[in-house]
Amino acid sequence: MTAEEKMTTTTTQTAEETAARAVDNILTIRKLRTWFFTDLGISRALNGVDLDVPRGKVLGIVGESGCGKSVTSLSILRLVPRPGRIVSGEILLHRRRKAPDGTITEETIDLTKLHPQSPEMRAIRGAEIAMIFQEPMTSLNPCYTIGNQIMEAILLHQDVSKREAWELAGDMLEKVGMPNPRQVLLRYPHELSGGMRQRAMIAMALSCEPSILIADEPTTALDVTTEAQILDLMRDLQADIGMTIIYITHNLGVIAQMCDEVAVMYLGRVVERASVEDLFYNPRHPYTKALLDSIPHVGSRTKRRLASIRGVVPDPYATISGCPFHPRCDAYMPGKCDQLVPAPANVAPNHMVRCYLYSDEGEVENGG
Amino acid sequence: MTGYILRRLGYMAILIVLVAVVGFIIIELPPGSYLEVELDRIRALGGDINQAMIDALKQQYGVDQPLHIRFWKWLSGFVRGDFGLSFEYWTPVSKLIWLRLWYTIFTSLLTLVFQWVVAIFIGVYSATHRYSPLDYLFTVLQFIGLSVPAFLLALLLMVVVHRTLGWHVSGFNSPEFQDLPWNWAKIVDFAKHVWLPIVVVGANGTAWLSRVMRANLLDVLNMQYVQTARSKGVKENVVIWKHAVRNAIHPLIMVLGASLPAIISGQLIVGVVLNLPTVGPLYFRALMNQDMYLAASILMFLTFALLIGNLLADILLAIVDPRIRLGEG
Repeated sequence: MTAEEKMTTTTTQTAEETAARAVDNILTIRKLRTWFFTDLGISRALNGVDLDVPRGKVLGIVGESGCGKSVTSLSILRLVPRPGRIVSGEILLHRRRKAPDGTITEETIDLTKLHPQSPEMRAIRGAEIAMIFQEPMTSLNPCYTIGNQIMEAILLHQDVSKREAWELAGDMLEKVGMPNPRQVLLRYPHELSGGMRQRAMIAMALSCEPSILIADEPTTALDVTTEAQILDLMRDLQADIGMTIIYITHNLGVIAQMCDEVAVMYLGRVVERASVEDLFYNPRHPYTKALLDSIPHVGSRTKRRLASIRGVVPDPYATISGCPFHPRCDAYMPGKCDQLVPAPANVAPNHMVRCYLYSDEGEVENGG
Repeated sequence: MTGYILRRLGYMAILIVLVAVVGFIIIELPPGSYLEVELDRIRALGGDINQAMIDALKQQYGVDQPLHIRFWKWLSGFVRGDFGLSFEYWTPVSKLIWLRLWYTIFTSLLTLVFQWVVAIFIGVYSATHRYSPLDYLFTVLQFIGLSVPAFLLALLLMVVVHRTLGWHVSGFNSPEFQDLPWNWAKIVDFAKHVWLPIVVVGANGTAWLSRVMRANLLDVLNMQYVQTARSKGVKENVVIWKHAVRNAIHPLIMVLGASLPAIISGQLIVGVVLNLPTVGPLYFRALMNQDMYLAASILMFLTFALLIGNLLADILLAIVDPRIRLGEG
């Protein structure tokens, strides 16, 4: 086999793989723009996000504060608070339904086409896509017992009696490793510790067996020991139930521990996307490289200043021409980077990056 | 919870005694007493009060006795239901205030319900439709409600209602029903009268409570648990009423205890303007004329209203919020 032939076969395989992956994505986001129309001007929180979420995998979304991680998750759930709204783009949910005779049918729903308050969207929230939030201390309603709140979710989406829902809620708490699950059902959130509350939140989110779980920095507010327990728990549950997790964090260590694939976001766009190994061992985008360089390593040379990224994330109301990272980029090429947004380029199988270092192709922005 | 209520009842008893002492002293502070004034007046008119009667009255109420003895006599009588004699009306206080007290409590409760229902609905609407045209309209109305004094509103409404609807607008009943026993027609007539003082007395509180409700609900709507409820797929109406309003209603309940006396004293001036048979105008006259047993009795009843209102507010708060219920043990 000649080198050329070998090359062709690889490409074919890649194409097949790509095709297989395209079929097996549970969620496809295309050119998603979510803008906030404030009195100070338009804040372009998401400015053309493209993201494929593979079924049954853990996808990490990483980026600095204000890059649009949380807005992405709120857009998927159609819970973007006013004055924000989805301006354009698609969020396609590829939902699988199991018929009573065992046949599996797949249907695709564009979530951006649904009204946020519509019964269809409410049926998806909680049942198909569930979410865990950043602050376990405030994400449970202080006026209702844990059991009551989990039961509410179950009763909304499943056809069971109150008694059965209560039992299911207890089972769920047991599953997430809550000590004394039956007693905890009767407890109020203020009687539980942060870690226990986050377990209760996870139990509530998983109570209707969603196919996608969005976890928005679920361990940020917890101490490291508890964080490790919660991460283990989520990994175990993911393997158990086989659901898809979208894990949002700014902590690269957690990404390495949790995720199969990673998307790096910067100013409302996905700038690099790869498998977790590729991203850590072979980062391409200057921003990703800079992010990885800014992590302190145990055993690294002392007396060396920790690298940091020049400047700050620009003001969200500002519009930056070209690649949004160019004002802070070390590889900035004047006349190139500040003209058009670089188009996504595949530098390796399943490794996408938007940077002129790897492709000359620019993207004409529309509606920007 | 039971221990908590018992402890509160204990504090209440102490407070009532303190209020009685202080109130009695303050009412006694100006020199002279109504009895002397009245006796002088009757003598000057050549009235036929003889010395034996005067002595008997002095004996009965002990006006010559030192303050603490008179206080003790009055208080021990009060506990037995003998509130003393009104000098001005020359009738027992209990007879004077009984019907008025009933009217006062009934209309105060109606005012309270009116305030709450209107304030909660306006507050919730304003918070969920912030910066909408209706929200702006409510805001304007709220500031008018806060700034226009009740007596002016009473006069304005009286004129407007009388001119446009031709209704009789003072008191709680039209003259033709005044002395009739209660029947359906009288109740309808009562309803035609009672809404005016309710709106007038309640306007100020409604405006204030709805501002508080709006501000508080706006805070709560930003809380994470509201978003959590939405992310479960809960209907927006249920999110608002079950998850948000329940957490936003605390300040309203907390001022509930203070609302009742505020309404009763708010009724005072409105009661004078609208000629209402409530305790307000009576209390006012009694204080002006040093009719001390009458004034002291009304003061005691107002204190009861305040304390019971506060206790109910605290119990209600404990029912609504488990953190208070479980924290107090």
